[in-house]
Amino acid sequence: MPSESTELLQGTLDLLILKTLALQPMHGWGIAQRIQQVSQELLQVGQGSLYPALHRLEAKGWITSDWGPSENNRRAKFYSLTRQGRKQLGAELKNWKRIASAIALVIEEG
Amino acid sequence: MARHAAGLRRLLSRLFGPTNGDVDEELSYHIARQTELNIAAGMTPEEAERQALISFGGVEKAREECHQQWAAARMHSLVGDLQYAVRGLRRAPAFTIVTVLTFAIGIGTTTAVFSVVDRILFRSLLYYDASRLVSVGIVAPIEPQEFMLGYSYYEWQDHQTPFKSLTSWTGIQSCDLTERNALRLACAGVEASFLPTLGIGPLLGRNFTTEEDRPNAPKVVLISYSLWRSRHGADPSVVGRVISLDGKPARIIGVLNKDFELPTLEHADVLEPEAIDPASQRGANPGRVRWAFARLKPGVSIQQATAAVEPLFEQMLATVPPQFRKEVHLRVRPLRDRQLHDAKQAAWILLGAVVLMLMIACANVASLLLARAAARHREMAIRSALGASRLRIARQLVTESLAISLLGCAVGCVIGAVLLHVFISIAPEGVPLLQKAHIDLRVALFAVLASLVSGILFGVAPAMQRPNAESLAGRNIIGVSNTRARQLLVIGQIAASVVLLAGASLMMRSLWNLEQQPLGMSTRQLVTASISLGELHYGKPQQAMNFFQQLEARLRKLPGVEIVAISDSLPPGGWHHDQIYAGIRIEGRPLPAAGTGGRIAWRWVTPEYFSALDIPVVQGSPFSESDRNSSEHFIIVSQSLARYMFPNEDPVGRHLQPGLEGPWYTVVGLAADVKNGGLTGAEEPEYYRLRRNQPEDWGRNATLIVKTAFAPATTERWIRDEVVTLDNAVPVQTETMSERVSRFADRPRFEAALLSFFGLAGVLLAAIALYGLISFLVVQRTAEIGVRMALGASKGNVVRLMASQGVGLIAAGTFIGLVTALFGARAVSAVLFQVRPTDPLSFLTVALLLAVIAGVATCIPALRATSVQPMDALRRE
Repeated sequence: MPSESTELLQGTLDLLILKTLALQPMHGWGIAQRIQQVSQELLQVGQGSLYPALHRLEAKGWITSDWGPSENNRRAKFYSLTRQGRKQLGAELKNWKRIASAIALVIEEG
Repeated sequence: MARHAAGLRRLLSRLFGPTNGDVDEELSYHIARQTELNIAAGMTPEEAERQALISFGGVEKAREECHQQWAAARMHSLVGDLQYAVRGLRRAPAFTIVTVLTFAIGIGTTTAVFSVVDRILFRSLLYYDASRLVSVGIVAPIEPQEFMLGYSYYEWQDHQTPFKSLTSWTGIQSCDLTERNALRLACAGVEASFLPTLGIGPLLGRNFTTEEDRPNAPKVVLISYSLWRSRHGADPSVVGRVISLDGKPARIIGVLNKDFELPTLEHADVLEPEAIDPASQRGANPGRVRWAFARLKPGVSIQQATAAVEPLFEQMLATVPPQFRKEVHLRVRPLRDRQLHDAKQAAWILLGAVVLMLMIACANVASLLLARAAARHREMAIRSALGASRLRIARQLVTESLAISLLGCAVGCVIGAVLLHVFISIAPEGVPLLQKAHIDLRVALFAVLASLVSGILFGVAPAMQRPNAESLAGRNIIGVSNTRARQLLVIGQIAASVVLLAGASLMMRSLWNLEQQPLGMSTRQLVTASISLGELHYGKPQQAMNFFQQLEARLRKLPGVEIVAISDSLPPGGWHHDQIYAGIRIEGRPLPAAGTGGRIAWRWVTPEYFSALDIPVVQGSPFSESDRNSSEHFIIVSQSLARYMFPNEDPVGRHLQPGLEGPWYTVVGLAADVKNGGLTGAEEPEYYRLRRNQPEDWGRNATLIVKTAFAPATTERWIRDEVVTLDNAVPVQTETMSERVSRFADRPRFEAALLSFFGLAGVLLAAIALYGLISFLVVQRTAEIGVRMALGASKGNVVRLMASQGVGLIAAGTFIGLVTALFGARAVSAVLFQVRPTDPLSFLTVALLLAVIAGVATCIPALRATSVQPMDALRRE
């Protein structure tokens, strides 16, 4: 495991989960793996926070869950994006880009 | 199925969060996958699992947090509010039960009565574009509904302009299905254009053709849905089958729809072509009586149509004897009005009553919710201080009201269905369409909407009161506006219940008058049997006479039977012969020059009619048994007819010719007047023709009157047995005379019962609200009462102090209610019988009844105020 993993910024985990689920329904393990892979192992999703986040998003109605067989034929809980979640993803993406460009501006100024 | 299960699980987890097992399984799946990965990387299984657990972090903590997410989300959701509301309501069961019940009573009664009234007032008729259908005809003293006569009808049909089509029918006639298991049916004779004008067609087969609607055409019929089901087992191949009607073959050419109804709502089993030759009718005067209906052309109003047929009417009027013309009028009115005539008024009264009832119930719920809001003032103040926004609190309160109103709505719908069932079972036959009333979707929706609107309204009102620091301190400083609002609500409720009670009391008085009025005859120990003989076997008067004479002889031999009389109709109401006064020729006098002279009722009777009904013959003599064998004709006139016909003369011995032609009758006596226009209708002068042992005096219909010394029920059975012995295919309808009479009061009794029910329910609700308000005031002023008592106020003083608050409300409410009722009573005056709408006794009764009930509701909590212990009360401050 690379030691140079980055702590996630507060609130960005939701965005990452929504973005990941936008591709296809997935179980918690898959989501964690996928985020690590795509970020080239830079982003480490702490399992202690992943599952509460999934449940928070589900309680808000942005994602929904269903039990189904996984790749290795065990019962796993698959999450998928709801219509509301898709809207939320759009909003959060826009918000993120705004913040990122704002931060970039400040940093490059210095 | 599996999809439903998944959906249900998702719904449940959305309401209550996932189960512990769900979260555990989810987390352990993750650890298992990590363990597999570690094993693949070369660790031993034990080490792999240990590492997986370590890298996961605290499993217990994660699980806890997963559940917490749901709880946190719930705090912000409607579901959370709902749970909170349910918990709060469960903590206050008395409040919840009373409020839900109030709601339920309001919504239940509203829904039930609205379902009844809806059919009468608002439901469209079951014809195509029914608003364009009108009833057309002339109104004359002979018949209360507009009708047409054969000779002018066809003229109208040829020359009318405002109608797309004009059709008619000749009424219901009994006919017999003369097959195995013979059956008495109701046959309606209609024109071929009848169904097309109404815009409906048969379910199976086809309508008559014009050719089939000719005299001597092979007979064809349309049968009703129920006859099709009961007689032909709903066999679709019934079309084309030949049945035997009154002994003649008739081919079934179609089956009517299940919901088919005649424009007059009468029951018919068979529609047959009236098969009348227009040519012969044009020459005849007056021709066949018929009832005409028409469909207005597009864009033509009823006024325009009336104006357009006016010339035709004038033409027809020219053929009416000049002396009658003034009493004949033209009438064109909507078919619905023709159908419902007097039921409409009662329906509006009921609707008014039910609206008042709903208002009382809603006011009650409002005042209960306000009371609850007052009691929870402190709680709200604390929540507000802890940072809950007003919107948040309002949402909470609305949710709570919604929970109550929805619950009330559910219970209310059940109550409504039950009530409707009760209404239908106690309702008299005269209420049109009631048998078909049911709680329908629109009515249910109306109830749901009413409850939702009131729920939101009453939920928001208390939330609008800004909590202040004082309430936080727990002081009982409740918004003055809250109490003021509740006082106004109570006044409104009392006023509304006074109006309802006043209506009920007027109706009760009217019913009492109706039932107590002298009928002019006795009903004691009398059994009546109505018999209508079939055309096939009793078509000749001789056959009918033989049957009735044999039956009379048999009945006389029954044990306990004292008198047997035969008539063709009975007082106090229902069908009887009618003729106009001007149609009676009096020996030695010219016919009257102008006017019909009004309607005269008459009956065929046998001599014992008068002794059976105990109608005194005040002058001359009753008919005697020997008169029955006479070749002369005899007649008895009523006192009122005698006064009219022979003022200051002795009528006995005079001669009359009741039909302007035919035999002359000798007046033998004068009978006392008897009610004959129903219980409420105007009485008509009347005469009785003696039914002799001559075929010419007999017809196929007769009513037997039997006076018995035994129990009427036993005698009824014996009479039926005797009829069956004579001819088992003859239908007979028996009932006691008292049942017959009381049936005429069924309708007013039904209305009075409904209004009284509303009135009492309304008063009860108002009393509950009053009781609640005074109790609340007592609690609120506990400290003050304590101080007063400590300073030496007597218990009497305290009761007076508290009760005076209620007395003011009662007085104000009663006053407003009485004034409103005085104005409103005019609306019901049309259905009242011998009661003035301003009847002082009725209003006094209402005021007294209300004062007693409301007084009790005030005194109970006021008396409780005296049990306040001064020390306890002072310590509370």
